[in-house]
Amino acid sequence: MSNFLQKVIIEPFDKFLDKVLHFLPNLLSAVLILLSGIVLGVILKAIFLRIFRAIRLDKFSERYGVVEILQKGGVKEPVSLIISRLIGWITIISFLIISLRSLNVPAIERILERFILYLPNVFVAAIILFFGYLLSNFIGRAALIAAVNAGMKISGLIGRFAKLAVFLLSVTMALEQLGIGRGTIVIAFAIIFGGIVFALSLAFGLGGKDIAKDYLEKKMKDEEKKDEISHL
Amino acid sequence: MNKITLRKEIHDKISDIKEADIVVGIPSYNNARTISHVVRAVKAGFAKYFPDKKTVLINSDGGSTDGTIEVVQNTTIEDFQSILLYHRVEPFKIATPYLGIPGKGSAFRTIFEIASALNAKACAVVDSDLRSITPEWIELLIKPIIEGNFDYVAPLYHRHKYDGTITNSIIYPITRALYGKRVRQPIGGDFGFSGKLANFYLTKGVWETDVARYGIDIWMTTTAIANNFRVCQSFLGAKIHDPKDPGADLSEMLYQVLGSTFDLMETYQDVWKKVTISQPVLTCGFQYAVGLEPVLVNLDRMIDKFRLGVKELMEIWKGLLSQEIIDFLHRVEELPKEEFYIPDDIWVEIIYSFATAAHKKIINKEHLLRSITPLYIGRTASFVIETWNSDASEVEEKIEQLCKMFEDKKSFLIENWG
Repeated sequence: MSNFLQKVIIEPFDKFLDKVLHFLPNLLSAVLILLSGIVLGVILKAIFLRIFRAIRLDKFSERYGVVEILQKGGVKEPVSLIISRLIGWITIISFLIISLRSLNVPAIERILERFILYLPNVFVAAIILFFGYLLSNFIGRAALIAAVNAGMKISGLIGRFAKLAVFLLSVTMALEQLGIGRGTIVIAFAIIFGGIVFALSLAFGLGGKDIAKDYLEKKMKDEEKKDEISHL
Repeated sequence: MNKITLRKEIHDKISDIKEADIVVGIPSYNNARTISHVVRAVKAGFAKYFPDKKTVLINSDGGSTDGTIEVVQNTTIEDFQSILLYHRVEPFKIATPYLGIPGKGSAFRTIFEIASALNAKACAVVDSDLRSITPEWIELLIKPIIEGNFDYVAPLYHRHKYDGTITNSIIYPITRALYGKRVRQPIGGDFGFSGKLANFYLTKGVWETDVARYGIDIWMTTTAIANNFRVCQSFLGAKIHDPKDPGADLSEMLYQVLGSTFDLMETYQDVWKKVTISQPVLTCGFQYAVGLEPVLVNLDRMIDKFRLGVKELMEIWKGLLSQEIIDFLHRVEELPKEEFYIPDDIWVEIIYSFATAAHKKIINKEHLLRSITPLYIGRTASFVIETWNSDASEVEEKIEQLCKMFEDKKSFLIENWG
């Protein structure tokens, strides 16, 4: 009985304990590397922020239109803060990868290898999303202003729809880049987009037929009193 | 740079004419219906007032498809006795499509180039859709240059109180406050200028901007004033033009005219910051009252458009207008038509805030300038309500008050400009 207990419980437990004892220094060094990465990231962020402010990067980017591009996209933070924050995060992520490798776990190493190979896709997808976001804000605002100036009551809806459509398109492209649901995403997007347009057509055709009729009658009979103000 | 004078037929024509004393240009685009009258008025003006001068009429066309150029080529004055002339004087005539981006400014550039090649002493430009032009307009636009040594002659018209509202509510007051010269119609469209000034215009590289379109008028006036050319204005009577206006899109007009005005503020900031008072300019011509055609105004629709703008565009305006203005816009949005009112001080602050926002590039320039349309419509509606029962002199007094407000609040602009 004692022999059985020795073989089934105590020996595996000893082995496990042995492995844990072997693993603990690696874990500790990984945690230390990660912590020093976080500290270094925060320090680097602060240092670069000071350097960028000292060399007046924000003024420089304002002069060359970078601030305008970001503001057009609704990003209001200064360029110096964005870049220094990016440097901080890259440092932290780099130390995270080093710390995971220092664990010496084959499974994690394999995952990391695949992750590193996959990173360029993530980078491109992030760029697509970023520019998609900027473009969606820009197009949405342009559509809103045009609709307001045309006197359309649903101008808010038009602006939001234009913004959403452009952003959805960029999300689709980003997911395509990441290889998530290739084909399916495009088809889903086409179905959703087509569906919205079709739903709007139906809504206007059925729900707004009287409005459309009144509008066309007014236009055809020229009943609407027009301005004759010559602005220039 | 493409030059119209390099085109063979134009080059040959210039070689034939060699030199000219006076050049009058008519920009056109599908104006076959009205241009004949303008051409006859110009020709009669040449014959009546400048019979001993070598004169050239240029039609700078934007690719008309209705035979505008043919109308210009074939228009002659059949009965010179009707204008009390007994000897026929035929001016030289050049009718050509212009080069560059489509627009009035590109048409003017062609006229400047030909005038420069002909070494013209005095030039004028008149719109092709004018119905009220008379031969006297040519005298009034050209004589101050030839006999008075002026370089730039702006027009002065009698217009309906609701005609030229961008001029009355923005361009005249801001130009006067910025550059200190009281040119009443800075974007009137019909101008006289010296050959020297035409050459100066050609040295400026602005022909790929909005100056090539509707911005040309304010650009010509501001460039002349800011560079210390001698400026006067001539009273031309009534301005009545064809109702078919190619620039029917109001937001496009505002974008181009205001865009050019704000761009000029960047160029000449060292000039306008130093100007503290405005001075009148010499007015030539005998002033008289004229009957004007009534103008239809749909106030309800204008106020609706203003309210829609306040509801939907407030997020954009919040980034550039003060909290006081924002609160005011919310209050006025609620008012019934009878009480609807946007006072001068609020309007001036709005315009100066938009100018500052364009300077600081707070948002995309096109979005910024197009978003002003509902505010401009609201201000126009307020002006219409305020002056509904006013006669011309009372309306002019109101515009004078607005101009003074623009001048008084100039310190606000300078403080915020940075």
